[in-house]
Amino acid sequence: MIDFVVQQLAWAQNPVVVARQLLAGVSNGMLLFLISAGLSLIFGVLRVINFAHGALFMFGALIAVSLTALAPGTTGGFVAALIGASAGLAVLGAAIETGLLRRIYRAPHEYQLLLTFALVFILGDAAKLIWGREDNSVQVPALLTGSAQAFGLTFPTYRLFLIVVGIAVAIGLWLVLHRTRWGIFVRAATIDRGMLSALGVNTRRLFTAVFALGAALAGLGGALAAPIVAVGPGLHVQVIIDAFVVVVIGGMGSVLGALVASLLVGIVNAFGILAIPGAAVVLTFALMAVVLIVRPHGLFGTPE
Amino acid sequence: MIRVALPVLLLLGLPFALSDFWLFIAIEVLAFALYAVSFNVLLGYGGMLSFGHAAFFGVGGYAAAILIKQAGLPGGVAFALVPLVALAVSAAFALLIGYFSVQRSGIYFAMLTFAFQMLLYTIALKATSVTGGDDGMTGLKPPGLLAKPFYYYYFALALIAPALYVLYRMVNSPFGFTLRALRANPRRVQYIGVNVRAHQLVAFVISGAFAGLAGALFALSTGNVFPGWLNWTASATPIVMAVLGGVHTFLGPAVGAAVYVVLEVLISGRTEYWPLAMGVIIVALVLLMPEGLSGFARRKAA
Repeated sequence: MIDFVVQQLAWAQNPVVVARQLLAGVSNGMLLFLISAGLSLIFGVLRVINFAHGALFMFGALIAVSLTALAPGTTGGFVAALIGASAGLAVLGAAIETGLLRRIYRAPHEYQLLLTFALVFILGDAAKLIWGREDNSVQVPALLTGSAQAFGLTFPTYRLFLIVVGIAVAIGLWLVLHRTRWGIFVRAATIDRGMLSALGVNTRRLFTAVFALGAALAGLGGALAAPIVAVGPGLHVQVIIDAFVVVVIGGMGSVLGALVASLLVGIVNAFGILAIPGAAVVLTFALMAVVLIVRPHGLFGTPE
Repeated sequence: MIRVALPVLLLLGLPFALSDFWLFIAIEVLAFALYAVSFNVLLGYGGMLSFGHAAFFGVGGYAAAILIKQAGLPGGVAFALVPLVALAVSAAFALLIGYFSVQRSGIYFAMLTFAFQMLLYTIALKATSVTGGDDGMTGLKPPGLLAKPFYYYYFALALIAPALYVLYRMVNSPFGFTLRALRANPRRVQYIGVNVRAHQLVAFVISGAFAGLAGALFALSTGNVFPGWLNWTASATPIVMAVLGGVHTFLGPAVGAAVYVVLEVLISGRTEYWPLAMGVIIVALVLLMPEGLSGFARRKAA
């Protein structure tokens, strides 16, 4: 038994392998952050678990597939894809909030759950109708191909780019939430929506904007992920689970929690693949269950 | 009298009226009716929204499959043991999962049940030597005459009808009324001196056990069990059925199950976009019929 464990952990003595997995974990974690930050914000403000968030991510990736196809491998095409996916999803998100979610904020939990659940199926099939059933791929723009080398370590440039973008979005979100008036409203809404409304803030518009922002982040995440995942039907079913785990661990409603938990889950997955090949995903669900039992509101969440 | 006699005669006479295909569907309806009603004991009576109830349906199915395929017992013996084993194994899982889950309420309860279900899903997916992994387990047909839908229908009915009766007695017992009081005002019930979590845990275990029986009976009818039964998308099914039929009546979810299963057969036979159709149906249900079919019918009649 001990021999087996030692053998399974032999890679830990190789600093190059450890550093490589760490970087891979962090870059995957940044993608997770883009989708889970929106999921967490939406839960914090609207008190709705948006199961369709994975589908929004998938739509972002599919929009990127269509837009980059116009100019494959070029920086212009890629930038257009990032902007197009974010903007497109912001519009779709606003439409979903005003058309559907707004009607059921007062309904019991199961109705909200069912509604976002129905959207998973509707958007999943809509994606098949629009983009077909094949897996698509997106070319990494020429500027970001190749790899960087340092300390005997080779790492794909695109992965480093993901880390930079993730940090930039995290800083941007922090500035918006902590340095703007609108951000104060959003944070106040996660604490007490009724009071915010009573103080004269238009919470209806705030809800729409938060949902649109969350959807736009998911769209951006999808577009950024497009070059490194197979973009096709079923992508959303897996992605939402990872994001959900992150949000539960980090604390529903906390963007900082989403960041920390994204990196944690990304890193745990990256090393879990080495420690227990094929079953690393068990680790993340076990982590989630433990956090829920010990600290049900998550690492950075506030108790109800 | 007629209100009891008519459905009983209908259920008993069904195999003489239906083709093998529709009889097969009728068995599915029976299994899902038990599943939905057992789920609704938690939601409609106890006010506990489990988002991981597919865990028990799936565990029941896998318990049946593993017993038949891997326990090394003669076919008839293994088959005869299936209902008891499915009940016991899923009750054990429900006890473990419920113990941790009932410590929390509301949306956190839903998320805990969800987390445990996904844990079981990944185990079913990865423990290939026991569960068959991604391919699931197939070829679980019951022995002898029971392999025919005509006889299997009565076998399933003979187990599901008493199970429903037990659940019915439970929700109308003092225990059931305590459960309803918990839905209305858990804090007040606690102040009276009731052990809230113990009551919730007992309800959770009973509900999980019968969901497991439903899963086992369904697995033997189709002959298969797949890891998808444990995936998160499967946990919406009992919620849809319960809400569709109406959560505030005992048999509402059973009606919801029947409507759901028949709709699935009719629609997925015509188009591959059954999920899209179901999504639209759910949206319509949520926005237009807040009390389910039974509430809708009541309001129309009034």
